[in-house]
Amino acid sequence: MRGPRSIEIWKMGAVNYLEALKLQEKLTSDRKTHKIKDTLLSLQHPPTFTLGKRRTVHNVLVSEAELKAMGAELHYTERGGDATFHGPRQVILYPIISLRDIGTGARKYVENLESTMIELASLYGVKARAGETGETGVWVGQRKIGAIGVRISSGITSHGLAFNIDPDLNYFKHIVPCGIPDKEVTSLQKEVGLGQKLPSEQVIHEQLVSCFTKIFGYTDVTWRDKTSVSSDGNE
Amino acid sequence: MARSLWATRAASYLRINVPCRGFATVLKDLKYADSHEWVRVEGESATVGITDHAQDHLGEVVYVELPEEGSKVEQGASFGAVESVKATSDVNSPVSGKVVEVNKKLSDSPGLVNSSPYEDGWIIKVELEDDSDLPCLMDPERYTKFCEKEDASR
Repeated sequence: MRGPRSIEIWKMGAVNYLEALKLQEKLTSDRKTHKIKDTLLSLQHPPTFTLGKRRTVHNVLVSEAELKAMGAELHYTERGGDATFHGPRQVILYPIISLRDIGTGARKYVENLESTMIELASLYGVKARAGETGETGVWVGQRKIGAIGVRISSGITSHGLAFNIDPDLNYFKHIVPCGIPDKEVTSLQKEVGLGQKLPSEQVIHEQLVSCFTKIFGYTDVTWRDKTSVSSDGNE
Repeated sequence: MARSLWATRAASYLRINVPCRGFATVLKDLKYADSHEWVRVEGESATVGITDHAQDHLGEVVYVELPEEGSKVEQGASFGAVESVKATSDVNSPVSGKVVEVNKKLSDSPGLVNSSPYEDGWIIKVELEDDSDLPCLMDPERYTKFCEKEDASR
């Protein structure tokens, strides 16, 4: 019989990728040693390209110098997954949670992350689906609207998901997104129609977080405004 | 359900690998860590891999990060990782010692971890420092109960 599940949501605004990475490392360590409870970071990044553990550099189609010239950064990470882009108008959720406490493995966790984004899309009448085998992520038809890349260390998750509200999709032309060629990337704005006005980003962030807490069965949810938090977790 | 349970336990006892779902295989002659790695100890050598329960919960493994031969491993510490469904999961060593061999077949065939977690999907062989780590590990019965309890907390 499981008791109430608690989570603390950090609303963070725009955060530099490396700062967010350092913060996740600290929080993962704190979660492992039970200093903190399950925590979810809700944020966005400035234009940033990232690669996963397999270092699939062949899926970045321009040089690092060219990326810098367009105002973007490139980072190599320990998460699963391939090349991706993060930028303004894209919601990022980084759950730092204990999978062992909820008896969940990687596969089920990722399925739940997919369901979170599918649920959010459905709030706007957009019918999204989970990817087929080898195409983890969230799709509308053959167009990718949400990406996943996760790291699990001693049962604690970090990294997470990225859902496109209305980022500049041109950035995706400089990579083979998620290593899957010939597939388009889309956004919520594109799928509801460019003439349709979406609510503010803040509202959509909060809705996505609510979809997450519902799907993962969290009953005790605390929200914290952490827009001025630095990478060591201090304000 | 009762028949498949009997079959699984019989298979476990006889050290047969049974491709069963709904009840992961646990082998009798191995020791288990709570992070779902197994170890087969033969004298001062040990072979390490991840359990059937672990591979089932991971999904299809597409990449295995192996340590260098000659590197040290420490009980409870990460020595490598597996990637499945866009998630990299650290693999922890159940014992301390020196890596004497890694399963190079996993570079081309990472799926061996799923199809044969206790045999062809072994990950590293270790020369044990000493056997003082072994009492911390679970025997097959305790590991089976551990998995049941973990799955029930979903």
